[in-house]
Amino acid sequence: MTGADPYRRRRIVAALVLMGGFAVVLFRLFSLQVLQAAELTLKADRQHRKAVTIEGERGAIYDRRGKVLAMNMEVPSVFGVPASLGNPSRVARDLGRLLHVQAEEIEKKLRQERSFVWIARKLEPEQGRRLERMALEGIGLVMEGRRFYPKGPLMSHVLGFAGMDGQGLEGVERRYEPYLRGDKQSVVLQRDALGRTVFPRGLNDPGPAPGHSVTLTADEVIQYIAEKELEEAVEASHAKGGIVIVMEPRTGAILAMAVSPRFDPNAVRAISADRWRNRALTDAFEPGSTMKMFVGAAALEEKVMAPGTLVYGEQGRMTVANTVIHDHDKSGWMTFAQVIQRSSNIGAVKTALSLGEARVHRYLKAFGFGERTEIDLPGEAPGLVKEPQDWGRRSLASIAIGQEIGVTPLQLITAVSAIANGGWLMKPFVVSEIRDGRGQLVFQTVPQVRRRPIAPETAQALSAILEGVVVLGTGSRAAIPGYRVAGKTGTAQKIDPETGGYSPTQFVGSFAGYVPAQDPRLAILVVIDEPQDEAWGGVVAAPVFRRVAEQALPYLGVSPREPVKLALAAQ
Amino acid sequence: MIDRVISSRGPDSFEWRFVAIIGAILSLGLLSIYSVTHAQPGGGLPLYARQMLWVVMGGAAFLVMLVFDYHKIARLSYLLYVIALVLLAVVLIVGKTSRGAQRWFPIGPFAFQPAEFAKVVLILVLASYYANSAREGWRQRVVLPGLIMAPGLLLILKQPDLGSGLSFLAIYVAMLLVVGVRSKALGILLLLALMLFPFAWEVMWGALHDYQRERILTFVNPAYDPGGKGYHGLQSRIAIGSGELLGKGLYGGTQSQLKFLPEGHTDFVFAVFAEEWGFLGVLLLLALFLGLIMLSMEIASRAKDVLGALLAAGVIAMIGFSMVINIGMTAGIFPIVGIPLPLMSYGGSAIVTTMAALGLLVNIKRRRLTLFY
Repeated sequence: MTGADPYRRRRIVAALVLMGGFAVVLFRLFSLQVLQAAELTLKADRQHRKAVTIEGERGAIYDRRGKVLAMNMEVPSVFGVPASLGNPSRVARDLGRLLHVQAEEIEKKLRQERSFVWIARKLEPEQGRRLERMALEGIGLVMEGRRFYPKGPLMSHVLGFAGMDGQGLEGVERRYEPYLRGDKQSVVLQRDALGRTVFPRGLNDPGPAPGHSVTLTADEVIQYIAEKELEEAVEASHAKGGIVIVMEPRTGAILAMAVSPRFDPNAVRAISADRWRNRALTDAFEPGSTMKMFVGAAALEEKVMAPGTLVYGEQGRMTVANTVIHDHDKSGWMTFAQVIQRSSNIGAVKTALSLGEARVHRYLKAFGFGERTEIDLPGEAPGLVKEPQDWGRRSLASIAIGQEIGVTPLQLITAVSAIANGGWLMKPFVVSEIRDGRGQLVFQTVPQVRRRPIAPETAQALSAILEGVVVLGTGSRAAIPGYRVAGKTGTAQKIDPETGGYSPTQFVGSFAGYVPAQDPRLAILVVIDEPQDEAWGGVVAAPVFRRVAEQALPYLGVSPREPVKLALAAQ
Repeated sequence: MIDRVISSRGPDSFEWRFVAIIGAILSLGLLSIYSVTHAQPGGGLPLYARQMLWVVMGGAAFLVMLVFDYHKIARLSYLLYVIALVLLAVVLIVGKTSRGAQRWFPIGPFAFQPAEFAKVVLILVLASYYANSAREGWRQRVVLPGLIMAPGLLLILKQPDLGSGLSFLAIYVAMLLVVGVRSKALGILLLLALMLFPFAWEVMWGALHDYQRERILTFVNPAYDPGGKGYHGLQSRIAIGSGELLGKGLYGGTQSQLKFLPEGHTDFVFAVFAEEWGFLGVLLLLALFLGLIMLSMEIASRAKDVLGALLAAGVIAMIGFSMVINIGMTAGIFPIVGIPLPLMSYGGSAIVTTMAALGLLVNIKRRRLTLFY
């Protein structure tokens, strides 16, 4: 307190106190920002960084002409933040009314001890708009990509559908999942203190690549025709269902595949799995008389029969292995061609008997029965062709008339196409092209020959007989003025699951054929399952064939050139 | 001496270095406020623009305090102090309440905080008192000024505003130290403080709001409530520490931008700055503050009279204390008591009064030369 300047010492003390404070603060900041920097940075990152996987948009599905069959749509999903809800029961009641869900169910979700709960996902856009207007506290909307099928039920059994998280579950959506699915990319998002995600600044990457688009061989217009005609026929005959397959015989490309009853892939949740199964390839049936085409093909190829070979019709009644076989017409002598045209059971059985078990079995396998066609769709059944050693005494006769054998509609039309295609059995397919997100071709299907069960001359001879089926025989209702049509009817009794025997009331009526016979462009199979009044394939199925073909042919630019008389002259 | 007088007639007499440092700190503060609030939605004038307006008004206050002789200003000190006390009393009745404290007079979209004004007036009144009191007895040095300060302190603590209350005490103690107390008087004061401490603690603790008590408890024992009230301090430390040496860049502070750090534009503006500018930026800022304090000390030591020296000491104490405590609390070495960072935290009253106080410092420096005219 003494000295020249009494304030000097105090000033120094005060300054030292202040500098001391400075020093302490500075050391602390050094400690935080340099010594503990790594640890605190880690803590900061844990708070605000959140790694998520984002996925590129799922690829679209197009028809043969580039018409969109499956695409993506942004639709609202609604979620709740339980912590910020004032009155869960009131909110649940409001939501329940709008979403048509039990309020108690929503309330249960909202009362969970969680920071985020989904209430309903992928709603209709209108529901989203109404929710937005309601502006409920603690309830939010986000847009999510939903798979959308703009044509509704059209081709739904082929397309299949994608699930809630965009994974393909059926059909092309499932089979081509690895292509359709967008690339996954891990992205670090920033999260703010309220848990909302914020895209980091400067995120100008292109993002994950979108999925590839898939182009089908199927044509929206032909599919529409097939579905319309099938639905009308199923309704008119009060049938349980039906199938129409339209194939390009030269390539095996599927132009249409209609399954009745139909379903809307936009609303699969309400439908049972039974409805969306593609029965054209998942279910085998006993085809009945259409099998006579292949027994006939074998007989012609093996030169056991010629079109003019005479066969005695036994006046419509013959006993084989202690069972009686009937014919619809009581025939005496007839040509082999007439056997097929009249669909004579006795003639077919006699043909099979002259071929023998081994050869019949070999030709059936050669036409692709009893094995998968390897079409690019999931769930295909192989059908059932027993090995000869497992055949009973009656088996050969039964198989000749399309019993004791299980074939899928797809196998049947593929085999018919082989006859139309000069004997070449093709591998059927529904996808023609796959392109990446920039439109670059990634994959293109090349028609594949599987084998050649019969020679072209045999196919030609058989084709002439099959034209006669339509002109003179059981398939007359499949005739189309101006075109040469070849085909075969089939009427099969279904096995009654209760008795194990053939049902007297349940039938499958079918017609398989192709047109124009001299240069086949379309092979069409029509199967009507359990028609009520009239079961004959020639009556319930053949007209559907005609109606589909007579609309599809002009659409494909196939003009009517052949007068019907020419076909008659061929006889 | 003569050289300095001559050179001081030039622009240096306005103390450009001083003004440049103030401008630099203000700019860094504005940048940080802009960074942390620019993305916030909200109607009306954005916060950084309001702060700019306050800076302009602060500049005006700076000039006003510089123009009139500080002796004249000091003569008004008692009147100003009475006005401050009245305002502090009135704010308790009609003031705007925010987070449990009644501190503000709403003026249109702005708010006036009389406690900030009272701090500068306290410096004036204590400096006037000591300058006019030659006696060195502890009654004259300690008790009487203490009685002068007490009503203001109590009114501030009633709001309650612990930060401003501590600033009040700091100004008082600092000026007391500079004036000097005989060791006997100091001893008595310390004894008295110790004796009164339990009682004072009881009164103070009882006057505190729950959140303040919890903040202090959390500071004493960080595990007291790790998920809850320690959040401010923890987030502030994380923000500062994750800024590391070089910082995350302007607008790049994740913790402050993403709202993990609360009060980023007011009491915790330093954490925003430290996160975005890193330790190197912190060194720059602290150097600026240190420069401001050094220049102020030089003014204090060269003041022509006791009044000038005491005024300067009071201003240094106010700014230095606020700065150290604010940075200390954001860095987690002091309890979170709610003291703004001078010239940087958002808040009009603090900006205007701090700049007025700095104007007073330049005033003291300029009047020093009048001796020679």
